[in-house]
Amino acid sequence: MAPAGEVARPSAPPRKSRVKSVSRAELEAIGRTLVWVRPASEAPPEPVHVASRRLHIVMVGWEYPPHISGGLGVHCYELCKELTRMGHRVTFVTPFSGPFLETPGVTFRFPGSAPREGTPPPGSYNVVLGPEGQVADSLASYNDWVAALPLAKDVDAIHVHDWFGTVGAASAARRHHVPLVMTVHSTEYDRSLGFPNLAILEMERHGVAAAHRVISVSGHLKKQLIERFHVPPDRIRVVYNAVRPTARLERLVRPDPIVLYLGRLAAMKGVDTFLRAAARVLPFVPDATFVVAGDGPEFPRLLTLAAHLGIADHVLFLGWVTDDERTILLGRASVYVLPSVVEPFGISALEAMVAGVPTIVSKTSGVAEITESVFAVDFWDIDEFASRIAELLTYPSLRNVMSDAVREAALNATWAERARQTVSVYLEVVAPVAAER
Amino acid sequence: MKLVFYMHMHQPWRLARFRYVDLGSGRPYVDHERNLAIFRRIAERCYRPALGRLLDALDRFPEFRFSLSVTGTFLEQARLAAPDVLGLLKRAAATGRVAFLAETYYHSLSFLLPPPELTEEINLHVSALHDEFDVKPSMLRMTELAYSDELGYFAERHGFKGMLAEGWEATLGDRSPNEVYSGARAPNLKLLLRNYRLSDDVGFRFSARGWSEYPLTAEKYARWLAATPGRVLGLFMDFETFGEHHDVSTGILDFLAALPRFVDRETTLSWATVDEAASEPAQGPLAVPTTMTWADQNRDLGAWLGNDLQRSAFEAAKKMGSLARRSGDPEILTTWRRLMTSDHFYYMYLGAHGADMGVHQYFSSYGSPYDAYANYMNALTDLRRRALEAAGVRAPA
Repeated sequence: MAPAGEVARPSAPPRKSRVKSVSRAELEAIGRTLVWVRPASEAPPEPVHVASRRLHIVMVGWEYPPHISGGLGVHCYELCKELTRMGHRVTFVTPFSGPFLETPGVTFRFPGSAPREGTPPPGSYNVVLGPEGQVADSLASYNDWVAALPLAKDVDAIHVHDWFGTVGAASAARRHHVPLVMTVHSTEYDRSLGFPNLAILEMERHGVAAAHRVISVSGHLKKQLIERFHVPPDRIRVVYNAVRPTARLERLVRPDPIVLYLGRLAAMKGVDTFLRAAARVLPFVPDATFVVAGDGPEFPRLLTLAAHLGIADHVLFLGWVTDDERTILLGRASVYVLPSVVEPFGISALEAMVAGVPTIVSKTSGVAEITESVFAVDFWDIDEFASRIAELLTYPSLRNVMSDAVREAALNATWAERARQTVSVYLEVVAPVAAER
Repeated sequence: MKLVFYMHMHQPWRLARFRYVDLGSGRPYVDHERNLAIFRRIAERCYRPALGRLLDALDRFPEFRFSLSVTGTFLEQARLAAPDVLGLLKRAAATGRVAFLAETYYHSLSFLLPPPELTEEINLHVSALHDEFDVKPSMLRMTELAYSDELGYFAERHGFKGMLAEGWEATLGDRSPNEVYSGARAPNLKLLLRNYRLSDDVGFRFSARGWSEYPLTAEKYARWLAATPGRVLGLFMDFETFGEHHDVSTGILDFLAALPRFVDRETTLSWATVDEAASEPAQGPLAVPTTMTWADQNRDLGAWLGNDLQRSAFEAAKKMGSLARRSGDPEILTTWRRLMTSDHFYYMYLGAHGADMGVHQYFSSYGSPYDAYANYMNALTDLRRRALEAAGVRAPA
């Protein structure tokens, strides 16, 4: 996810989680005992579309692989990769120093990467809040650095993601007379569940007001941008997130089914709904295990809740999991649940879908907008979540048919397609702004 | 040329959302109010105005005739939601120029179930028609115009004079659909065939602005009918064609009102009920080895039993039949039969491609086929538990 209002970690997530309760070896042991019932299938080849006009985009982002904590980093990486495959060039601007995953066609710029240009901010680039809740000086100086960044003559547009670089990006766009495109992945209202940090909110407002086009990752988020940020609807374009087509995971059926939540343990994720639904399912499906994979500030509360509901022996808190562990979990899970109160898109649901795991999401999540092959439930409706889980666990035909359907839907959501849609947003503004120059 | 104008009237008992956590709660499976609200809306848009025009035509044109099939679940809902619609149907029956057909009371696929379910359902329907309209049907139609040699044999053995079927090239070969045939295994059973092109001109294409013949007037249509070679022409369609599938604003009700007048002007055309048409001699037997319906591009049962969800739901329901009988509780048997109504399986159709999907979504009351399946299975699972209890069998833990 986008950097959170509280304290965002600029470094890679910790490799060892403090809440991990199952070891990698144990997970693999589970994997070895499984019955293979459906063959894995290869991922289809990705088509390449070469652009007729080659653009140079300055992308003001946040994290970039290998440092990734959420959807924003994945989005930026996949977008850069597809844009350069199409023949476009990207200069990626980030507050963090590398090394970054090498991506042909992408040049990285971060404070310190070009010491004679601009003014590098002092000290670390951690985004922290000051005593009165204002964003600390380091962020302001980062934006000053972005604003002063010398741009090559051939830059066609500046594309900024979320709030932390909006002020600098907007100022650079004005100074160089290039159009500004802003992608909103989530808003401060969402991340704070209605108690926004006003300084962050101000930077979001600044960005969407200055942008010639605002890209929203879902229709639901677009509505919010119109209603709460007063962005004119004709300036907003919806470009959904996507998923990298991976090989289909072998689907495993065991008498003791696993229901999976995989994501950050933040209040906006609604994991308490997952646990309350589990308590409703267990009387009907007593051998089910509910796995919570992920780490976050809600962990202590969720652990207490599981105990309070009397289901602690059916809930497994795994803590933060590696990519390999995630693959094992997705292969083993019968159902994936994303019960978020707020979920601007929900890439993790797409990842479950492409692995062929029948998926239940809350109606507010963007992923519910792109397919009818998931169950979409009101985030507050615990009984409905419980019913959908129990239905998928109880009816094998439903599970099999939805497994096929979600994978097909996810494979239709490719980054190549999203990059093409993003380019057409660039092209909407590149020519008119150039004409003004 | 004899015109056989036949319309089908049906409304299913749609299920309420019955969640998995509702198992054992005693909540009803059917949302009566919602079903009756839908019925009232369609009565307003279609049943009343269309029947009004048909009754008017019966008054004005002594030669005008038509035929109807009215399912048992339609009669149940009409009694509760719009009794005046039954009054209009009674007036039509009283003219003696409107034939009623027998079918399965619940609009079910019970011809795929072990006996005696099919016979019992038809008997239920025949006696309901008798009680309501004082008629005794001599012709039979199966759900969605399903027909096969096997079904023809069944109908003849049960004393029916004839059945309706689709006039489909795959079975007709180069023979005309506008003739009367006999069953391949039932030499005394007459088959009346649907001319699907002329029927669908009204049923599907009437309001299609992109159609080269748009707009279709009654005058033009009557000319087409008169120009069609053959002796018996089957115009078979849903009754809801007139005001529901095509809104009144398309002019469909004016078309219905004007048709008898323009047919009257064509000297080669006359009207016949299904009973009258079945008195015509047969042009030889028509072999239909596998079940043929009037639905979708394939004219088979694919719309109801084409995918794993549909087959698994139908098999689960089928398996429950003997238990429903054994329970000895008439309410459980009735509920099971309501769950056998074919519409429930139609809602689980998955084929997301081609012209048929639009038709399926139009008729569905669910968000998705997965919704439809899960909800249906929950209701069935709950009913099985109740039936086991009633039959004195302890439910497996």
